[in-house]
Amino acid sequence: MEAVKQGSAAIGLRSTSHVVLATVNKTSSELSSHQKKVFKIDDHIGVAIAGLTADGRVLSRYMRNECINHSFVYENPLPVGRLVVRLADKAQVCTQRSWKRPYGVGLLVSGMDELGAHLYYNCPSGNYFEYQAFAIGSRSQAAKTYLERRFESYDKYSGEELIKDALFAIKETLQGEVLTSKVCTVAIVGVGEPFHIVDQKKIQEMIDAMEVTGEAVAEDEQGDDYSTRGATSMES
Amino acid sequence: MNPNTQLSYALSCTRGRGGRRNTLKSTNNYIKVEIFLPLFRFFWINMATAMDGSSMSPSADGLVNLEMDSQRTLYPYVTGSSVLGIKYKDGILLASDTGGSYGSTLRFKGVERIKVIGKHSLLGASGEISDFQEILKYLDELILYDNMWDDGNSLGPKEVHNYLTRVMYNRRNKFDPLWNSLVLAGVKNGEKHLGVVTMLGVHYEDNHVSTGFGNHLAVPILRKEWREDLTFEEAVKILEKCLMVLLYRDRSSINKFQIAKVTEEGATIYPPYSLKTFWEFAAFKEPAKNAQGSW
Repeated sequence: MEAVKQGSAAIGLRSTSHVVLATVNKTSSELSSHQKKVFKIDDHIGVAIAGLTADGRVLSRYMRNECINHSFVYENPLPVGRLVVRLADKAQVCTQRSWKRPYGVGLLVSGMDELGAHLYYNCPSGNYFEYQAFAIGSRSQAAKTYLERRFESYDKYSGEELIKDALFAIKETLQGEVLTSKVCTVAIVGVGEPFHIVDQKKIQEMIDAMEVTGEAVAEDEQGDDYSTRGATSMES
Repeated sequence: MNPNTQLSYALSCTRGRGGRRNTLKSTNNYIKVEIFLPLFRFFWINMATAMDGSSMSPSADGLVNLEMDSQRTLYPYVTGSSVLGIKYKDGILLASDTGGSYGSTLRFKGVERIKVIGKHSLLGASGEISDFQEILKYLDELILYDNMWDDGNSLGPKEVHNYLTRVMYNRRNKFDPLWNSLVLAGVKNGEKHLGVVTMLGVHYEDNHVSTGFGNHLAVPILRKEWREDLTFEEAVKILEKCLMVLLYRDRSSINKFQIAKVTEEGATIYPPYSLKTFWEFAAFKEPAKNAQGSW
């Protein structure tokens, strides 16, 4: 759980037709590339992780396997709810065996299925919940506060509006640092839209548009930031 | 992640809840051992234990054991005749007779060859009746685990059709087929699905299907008379026409039929009934009247 809090932020938002994931890219040094935090699991499911990325990679591989197996046998995409339960059961096993350690990664699972759009959060503890909007990782409290004010209207939002809100939330977590498309990764999945990472150029355009209209975001963050800073190079 | 998992999913005829339990179902006399070693998931190894007195007998390649030959399906014994399926406006109708033949003897006359699967589907089968019953058991287990998830999702006809295709094809690859031609019909979320899976694993979907003798006798009628948006009565009439032809010309059919319907609301199987036949046609009485003979 601590590892999740120390990883860099990941947020997710959902409407009835689309789900958006956005993450803050952290680089371990100026010279290196940033850690990959958003993974496509299937055409209809994607995850964003916060915490130990290595654990996140392993779990992504497991999820991809589950999805493709289901598609092969049933020729239909795996319902998101079932994938999430399997993931949670897998995480739970690690909490009950003395020779294992829990997976140090929190996953925001976003997906579309017959029942609509879903956003789930899977903890290392094996718990999972469905959310309208959520944020995890360091300085996520600021984003959560922002989302708490806005989430009630999300159901009707289109994909574009969701992305805009996601960028705002990311801005909150940056707390003063400049928001550019290099710093964040945004991905979307929705009705008629398979899961894909939104193009950097498009994100930059949206960021510029945000600044131009000067939409004021109330800067009244509560400041009670539960998460700590100082992440090691293992986590992001 | 085990690279064999994908195929073992398809190979195994039972699935645990989200798991990879590979239990085998076969009908031979050796005592089966559930083997969990990842390496052996591809092979199915039957080990005879000391209890029945025989010794371990895996053959050199570990796959086809001579003593297993006699346990494979070689020919069907009690068979069902054709099954017909037709899409109409509100859903799909399946029809079959209720006869089970033991070779050329019409041994059983009350065999229900169409069954309801889950909430949305119907399964009809021609061919070996015992294999059909086995398939029903597999599907029962599948639907049970599906319900156990207890979320809003449920397996629709398309998924069941694909699952059956995997089962039939993999059995065929082991030279131990389930000797059936299956017709799978269902409606889910307004979408109608009507498909066939044969014992070889051949699968296809269409607006009207039939198996067995129906392929030869009923399909031409269906092709000529099927239209989009048939009413229930019209569809039944077309099916009865086909069933009559099959009754007159297929030796293994009997005059006792069942029609089953599946719509968005659910599936119903109607009680069996008979059709009125007429045997006084001149052509029936003197079939060779205008035939050209060689002597």
